Amino acid sequence: MKKFWRVAWHEYSRHVFRKRFLFALLSVPLMIVLMVVLVVVIILMETSSKPVGYIDYSGLLSEPVAQPSVKWPERFVPMVAYSDENSANNDLQAKKIQAYYIIAADYLQSGQVKVIYGDKLKPSDEEQFASFMKANLLANQPPEVANRILSGNEVIIRSTDNSREASNERFVNIILPFLAGILFIVAISTTSGYLMQAVVEEKENRTMEIMVTSVSPNQLMSGKVIADIAIGVTQLVVWALFIVLALVIGKNYVSWLSGLSFSGEMTGVILAVMIPAFIMISGLMAAVGATVTEASEGQQIMGLFTIPIWLPYLLTGVFIQNPNSPLAIAMSLFPLTAPMTITIRLSFTTVPTWQIIASVIILIFSAIGAVWLAGRAFRLGMLRYGQRLQWKEVFSHQKV
Amino acid sequence: MPTVEISHISKSFGALKAVDDVSFNVEKGEIFGLLGPNGAGKTTAIRVLLDIFKPDAGNVSILGGAMTEAKKDQIGYMPEERGMYQDIQLENCLVYLGSLKGVASDEVHRRINYYLDRFDLASSRRKKVKELSKGMQQKAQLITTLIHEPELLIIDEPFSGLDPVNTQMVKELLREQRDRGVTILMSTHQMHQVEELCDRIVLIDHGRTVLYGPLDEIRGQFAGHAVIVRTPDELAGLPGVEHIEQQNSSAYRLNLAPATNTQDVLRSLVESGIRIDQYEIAAPTLDEIFIRVVQPGDQEQGEST
Repeated sequence: MKKFWRVAWHEYSRHVFRKRFLFALLSVPLMIVLMVVLVVVIILMETSSKPVGYIDYSGLLSEPVAQPSVKWPERFVPMVAYSDENSANNDLQAKKIQAYYIIAADYLQSGQVKVIYGDKLKPSDEEQFASFMKANLLANQPPEVANRILSGNEVIIRSTDNSREASNERFVNIILPFLAGILFIVAISTTSGYLMQAVVEEKENRTMEIMVTSVSPNQLMSGKVIADIAIGVTQLVVWALFIVLALVIGKNYVSWLSGLSFSGEMTGVILAVMIPAFIMISGLMAAVGATVTEASEGQQIMGLFTIPIWLPYLLTGVFIQNPNSPLAIAMSLFPLTAPMTITIRLSFTTVPTWQIIASVIILIFSAIGAVWLAGRAFRLGMLRYGQRLQWKEVFSHQKV
Repeated sequence: MPTVEISHISKSFGALKAVDDVSFNVEKGEIFGLLGPNGAGKTTAIRVLLDIFKPDAGNVSILGGAMTEAKKDQIGYMPEERGMYQDIQLENCLVYLGSLKGVASDEVHRRINYYLDRFDLASSRRKKVKELSKGMQQKAQLITTLIHEPELLIIDEPFSGLDPVNTQMVKELLREQRDRGVTILMSTHQMHQVEELCDRIVLIDHGRTVLYGPLDEIRGQFAGHAVIVRTPDELAGLPGVEHIEQQNSSAYRLNLAPATNTQDVLRSLVESGIRIDQYEIAAPTLDEIFIRVVQPGDQEQGEST
């Protein structure tokens, strides 16, 4: 058992503590940080803290209330009252204010205001003035009425079985399974790539005989598999932590993230599909590694598996238009396309339970088959230095 | 009890019978030579012995029974296909391979320091294995074979890639291991090394045992009824000698009549006043025996099976 852990630690540490891996690991958090910085910079560029003036002929703002505060990085724009247009215009020329509004005496009838500016107001500053007007128009209303009017309409579309709902504010929940699917597949691809490399490595550097006379082939393989799964999990956990952190922080500042919520049921379905898919793809990659003589040769064959795995992503548009088409159902049941197809469909429809169960069962059997295939290919091919193992040999009755 | 007992093992790959009814024992504390031309089945026999391949027939007993995981820690194996993890530092590679042989962490470091010094590799400990020369990698591989102080050493072509100085060092090391009681099974093509080191040999050809036994006995079997005499004098007309071959200006091969005793020939040489610089029974070298018993065409097969 000790040897199993030694193999696993050796495999894990020599990948995880490499610059290449650390760079890949930190690429997603760095990308998120970069995106956040970009968003903040754009918001800062789109807003100004310079006051906006107004001349109120309607009398509605005789005792003005300030507009609601804004969330950082948006900046609060102070509203300055002027008694006449001349003084407002002087301050505009002196660039003390960025613009001034003239609220007509018949504002309540016409709903019209006039704005005088040097440079066009930024949309968010216009919104702050609108918000200032709304706050003052609703100043005499009970708070619950005022809040209801201010929050506007929110149309919620709910599935007939109440399992799913979508709305403007909760739009992000729609794409969550889709994002989770992509994240999983990237992690699976990376991990299984490492596994393929790990299996071929002892053949490539001619250490297989030394290894199998030190540890059993089972300990060697299982140590490597556990290590490579741990590498994938490390990557997934770090990425997921940063993404969740970004979403949780982001929902306080970005309106379209505010409806974000994680559904336990959805998470369960994604895990039920992804875990056997993970084992199946790892098994297939390990089997490829066992048949080839060099890692580079294996990477070419890996492409044959990678194409169907990513194919559903290319067909996202087709699935959005008709998420329950025969093509979508077929691809949900075919093991290599199932993980991505199911997660995409979960985003845009209620996938019938029978299809999820059937897909998971097919994936579990495929995973068992792939692991068996990998084990057999490994034992048959482990001492084939510089000579490829033919697939017909793997499926032959040859004793191993 | 022999350290290794191979009893009638056979192993085929498809139509090719790589090992065919081979049997031999390796006794404790001896250096045993496993010889044969390329493709004779030596490597397959070793792999069967190490339980890498299951034999189609026959039995293998190693260190007193069937191979187990625990026994792997008592065996040091240096395969013909040399290999080390190329992309890691030499010291890390040795620590990893040593720890897989069950050596405790402190001890593995202590032994690595000892062997790196002894093999003149101490200054290369932080280098990646791929940066080492072929000879240095060969020595590093020998360290991985010895680091766990095995009871049984199985080494395939231990001298390939080594210069004369390192060859001498490895020979001393093998003798030292034998003196410690370690059993050594050595497979090599270098017959003079076998003659120098091995007590007993088995020679296999086309997967079958051709010769097996103590080296002296085998050489005796192939010795003709002849003696070699080195003398500055002319040799002619000696009693009991059928034919005299002059090998060079001072060496003669005397082919004796079947009834003649080698002691009688020596006596008659002395009595005739012949000055004798050297007198020995004409035994063939292992090289000559090898060439004589190995069927023509074997050397072209090339592939190790």
